[in-house]
Amino acid sequence: MSKSGLEFTEMHWLMDVLQNIDIGLVILDRDYKIQLWNGFMENHSGLRPDQVHDKPLFDSFSNIPADWFKQKAEPVFELKTRTFTIWEQRPYLFKFKNYRPITGRAEHMYQNTSIIPLESIDGSVKHICVIIYDVTDIAVKQQDLAKVNSSVAISLDTPSEDTPSEDTPSEDTLSENTDSTDDVTNLASTTDALTKLMTTDQWQKNLAEECNHSSGSLILIEIDQPEDTDVDQQDDIISKLALLLRRASRQLDIVGRLQHNHFAIFLVDAQAKTAVNFAERVRSKFAETAINGDLFTVSAGVAELKQGNNDHLGLYSNAEKALRHAQGNGKNKTTLYQT
Amino acid sequence: MSVQVTEDQRDCYQEISNVAMGQAADKLARLLDVYVILPIPKINIISASDLHMALAGANTSDNVSAVCQGFIGSGIAGEALLIFNDASFTDLAKLMKYEGSLDYHGELELLMDVSSVLIGACLQGIGEQLELHFNQGHPVVLGQHCQIDDLVKAGNHQWSKTLAIEIHYEIENLNIDCDLLLLFTEDSVAKLNEQVDYLLD
Repeated sequence: MSKSGLEFTEMHWLMDVLQNIDIGLVILDRDYKIQLWNGFMENHSGLRPDQVHDKPLFDSFSNIPADWFKQKAEPVFELKTRTFTIWEQRPYLFKFKNYRPITGRAEHMYQNTSIIPLESIDGSVKHICVIIYDVTDIAVKQQDLAKVNSSVAISLDTPSEDTPSEDTPSEDTLSENTDSTDDVTNLASTTDALTKLMTTDQWQKNLAEECNHSSGSLILIEIDQPEDTDVDQQDDIISKLALLLRRASRQLDIVGRLQHNHFAIFLVDAQAKTAVNFAERVRSKFAETAINGDLFTVSAGVAELKQGNNDHLGLYSNAEKALRHAQGNGKNKTTLYQT
Repeated sequence: MSVQVTEDQRDCYQEISNVAMGQAADKLARLLDVYVILPIPKINIISASDLHMALAGANTSDNVSAVCQGFIGSGIAGEALLIFNDASFTDLAKLMKYEGSLDYHGELELLMDVSSVLIGACLQGIGEQLELHFNQGHPVVLGQHCQIDDLVKAGNHQWSKTLAIEIHYEIENLNIDCDLLLLFTEDSVAKLNEQVDYLLD
């Protein structure tokens, strides 16, 4: 419907809706002065439109970083495209209180924003509209998930005085899934938090299933000397090795972290020779990767499962024998189990 | 519903994408003050498993990041998917004149800025040619906040093959390597074809 086609009453309705809708609307001119401000903004900020009209945005809201915001807004003026910010970047643009101040857990409202160009009659963009969405519920749920999943290491750029520590998921909140929901528990019990590899149970289950219908080779890998290092360092070493394994393996391979520094990879349809090459590649790559300035090594044991044999327990014990042999013979080695 | 595109329609998509990219590259060059090597878009019918592989790559390896953004307008819906090689981040920072440190947060910031510009410029160009105005949803960073397998599993049931416009961006003298995929839903392809036939007549 074109603007000129709107009857006066319809226009009036529309204005009423814009005023009452639960989405923030702010119109800014080229100098970032506030030109328009809807009811949502008025009610959440406590500032009437006449108090902010024609005042620079950054004066009325000193906690909006001007450079950051301009970086998002300039393309809108220049290119007439839309730009977006999400709460993961900055939790909020305007610091408003949580819409549910009593039962809500977050201290402030999390916001996504869209910045859209408003064309003038001559086709140039002299004004932009910032649209503010309240995404607090999504953000809180996402953060709960992140705490468990641990794959998220986002540092929210929140002023420190009002950041409750539990609001900031970090890599430290790793394995414990104390306050998880059911979905999340499920995920956490099949995936190792630190390495994103399979947990022991999940790995064994997948191996047993795979052995029933395909051949392949099993590689067991252990880090040679992690005991001398502190816990953080150990975590770094383990993550690094896990990353190497994830990158080196194919989608169909079964890769798990069975114990603290004990990893297992079942290469589907791979013969012993291929598996030894794989293990050697990982071993040599790892040996030259410095972790916080230090070098570490791994030992590997390889055993092959022939077609038609589904004894996965035997396969595991063979690979383990090969691993112990590699460790007993100077470490930083790959040994193939020979029948 | 099977997705079908005739030779003529395909040529037309190619032409529309070429023009759109020309405009987008011009805008980017002006905004960022760099020379954008004009990419030639590829028009493809891709299958869900192709996409699954691309997304799984973004999920398992740590050296790829992806951003997706939904768009819809006049019954034509789809998703833009931008896949970056992480090796590009230092040069992306130079490009966007980003001065903070390149930690997780810095990279997220860059991903969002670059994807807004690249996706926006391209969608707008295509929209203008077809006389459509697309609404865009908020971008979502994949592989960092979503379990991609879940996303694709759900998607698998809805479509098997669909129209994709693939654009590979390169920027002169900078090591920036990223792919933009515009994927249209199956039912949108029929509507897009109508729109294109109108142009062909």
